[in-house]
Amino acid sequence: MRHRASLSLCALGLLTSLNLQAAGVRSPSMLANTCAGCHGTNGTSAGAQMPSIGGMDNGYLFSVLSDYKLGVRPSTIMGRIMKGYSDQEIWAIAAFFGEQPWVSTDQVAVADRIHAGREIHERQCESCHEDGGRGQHNESPRMAGQWSGYLRYALEICRDIGRRCHPNKMGERVMALSDQEIEALAGFYESEK
Amino acid sequence: MTDLQRRAFLKSSAVALGAAMLGVSPGVSAAAPKARVLVVGGGFGGTIAAKYLTMADPAIRVTLIEKDPVFLSCAMSNEVLSGERDLKDLTFGYRGLARRGIAVVQDEILEIDPVAHFIRGASGGRYNYDKLILSPGVSFRWDRIEGLTQEVAERFPHAWKAGPQTLKLRQQLEAMEDGGVFIITAPPNPFRCPPGPYERAAQVAHYFTKHKPKSKILILDAKDAFSKQGLFQAGWKQHYGDMIEWVSGASGGIVEGIDPKTGTLIGQVEEFQGQVINPIPHQKAGTLAESAGLTDASGWCPVDQRTFASTLHPDIHVIGDACIAGTMPKSGYAANSQAKVCAAAIVAAVSGAPTPEPSYVNTCYSLIAPEHGISVAGVYALADGRIVEVEGAGGISPSDADDRIRAVEARFAHDWFRNITADMFT
Ligand SMILES: Cc1cc2nc3c(=O)[nH]c(=O)nc-3n(C[C@H](O)[C@H](O)[C@H](O)COP(=O)(O)OP(=O)(O)OC[C@H]3O[C@@H](n4cnc5c(N)ncnc54)[C@H](O)[C@@H]3O)c2cc1C
Repeated sequence: MRHRASLSLCALGLLTSLNLQAAGVRSPSMLANTCAGCHGTNGTSAGAQMPSIGGMDNGYLFSVLSDYKLGVRPSTIMGRIMKGYSDQEIWAIAAFFGEQPWVSTDQVAVADRIHAGREIHERQCESCHEDGGRGQHNESPRMAGQWSGYLRYALEICRDIGRRCHPNKMGERVMALSDQEIEALAGFYESEK
Repeated sequence: MTDLQRRAFLKSSAVALGAAMLGVSPGVSAAAPKARVLVVGGGFGGTIAAKYLTMADPAIRVTLIEKDPVFLSCAMSNEVLSGERDLKDLTFGYRGLARRGIAVVQDEILEIDPVAHFIRGASGGRYNYDKLILSPGVSFRWDRIEGLTQEVAERFPHAWKAGPQTLKLRQQLEAMEDGGVFIITAPPNPFRCPPGPYERAAQVAHYFTKHKPKSKILILDAKDAFSKQGLFQAGWKQHYGDMIEWVSGASGGIVEGIDPKTGTLIGQVEEFQGQVINPIPHQKAGTLAESAGLTDASGWCPVDQRTFASTLHPDIHVIGDACIAGTMPKSGYAANSQAKVCAAAIVAAVSGAPTPEPSYVNTCYSLIAPEHGISVAGVYALADGRIVEVEGAGGISPSDADDRIRAVEARFAHDWFRNITADMFT
């Protein structure tokens, strides 16, 4: 499954780079630099609920941005913005941020919270979010070193929409978490640089 | 060169050397640069143009010239009026840009010679350029409201440029007695920050509700409609009841004069009396753009909207509030986005590459209450040489959003400010 998805993304990537030769095509940096006003230069956010996106898996970014465009992922403003781009442009934006270095926040969390969060992580999350949330692929974003404000917000939304959270198994697991558990998880990931 | 000219030239270059360098810039090489680009104005547009030029092509020598030692952001300055924020949270220095190798110079540019390609500052300094970028912001039309002059505005602050004016208005609001009337006059289009006067009314109402609940706020508008109007009016009602009253132009909101002795505003239909008066003047491009002959009859700068090159002087680019940018509003986000398009066009031009296809975005948050944010977004593209909104994208926050969504947008508003200022100054 995962394999097939990345193959088709490669094909799309090839298509885009061919398109780039054509006149009237907007370059990845031209498109992506407009995001920095909210997400920071090259996608490194200055906080606190705004996620860093530079250095995230391009396949993951592509699917999230497309879901915003299609209105299947809840958002305040991203849905309105992504409707302004073609699928090829969304791929170009995802590819641009995928190539940037990941920069972890410099925030530290309370030790108790980190330990509580690690326990939940090892029990329920590590199978997909490997290496303390450092591992990433097109269905699981990097979480280690992400702003805890954003992680909390994203987990709360996922809990709210339950099975509609993508992928399903994510919704099923997050649905059962308490506020304290979500806070602990968010603190744990933020402290994993 | 005659002796006299030589002496004048030597003198001015000495002063140029003496002009205060706001930061040390490492790595300035003696090798001839690929191009010399001057950026005048270290605000929302200018800082970004300088930084993104340097990031895209380190062989370009970039100098940023700003008249003030630090930048004071207008964005979030309405929170100073409500007491939610301190002016020092809006103050930014230029060290981060100097660290990137940009020469940051403090000087006020008074004169541009578009033919000989140099500009001159109040310090006497003379700066040569291959490309010049101006992001001077707005200036005020002191001839539109009778009696409203720059001196009178010292007593009736506009607070439309952040700094002492903002503090003065805050002090007047603090000194006002409960039960007083605060009047804002909102200018006609186009002007800096279309939602700004209405966010200001909400922020002051937030302060009044806590400290002077019997007071009233009156907005006298030159217009019959305004940005995010439905969301503002619903939010005002929800948090502040009937405290804020908006008078449209058609129903008598147009103000034609002010009597500074009595503090009376002379409207087209009737006169208005307030305890604190905040007349926001009619606007045009920054003074420098006008004196350099870069403005048209509208008072703003016509540009090639693909590159922001002035249609009047092609080696001078104008970005931000001062330029005419299709349907984009005059906002900090728009200035940021235009600066990046302009920088990419200049990098291409000095490298002999084709002009890149532009992409622009605007996002403006407004804070109605500490836990109530609303937004407008626009995605823009170039069509037939004009910047237009991409159809089907953008728009305002939904009118039926619940309290939680409003609170999330309020937090995103603050995060936007953190990130856009980091994009500018780090
Ligand atoms: C109350 C208020 C709230 C606002 N809120 C928002 C918001 O929430 N979001 C948003 O996107 N926008 C907001 N704005 C609008 C935003 O402030 C402007 O659109 C933005 O500042 C425009 O950028 P600019 O580069 O054109 O001008 P500025 O940011 O004003 O920069 C111009 C700079 O040029 C310098 N300068 C001018 N002339 C010279 C000269 N001759 N020599 C040297 N230096 C010179 C000035 O000192 C200044 O630093 C708000 C504005 C107001 C008034």
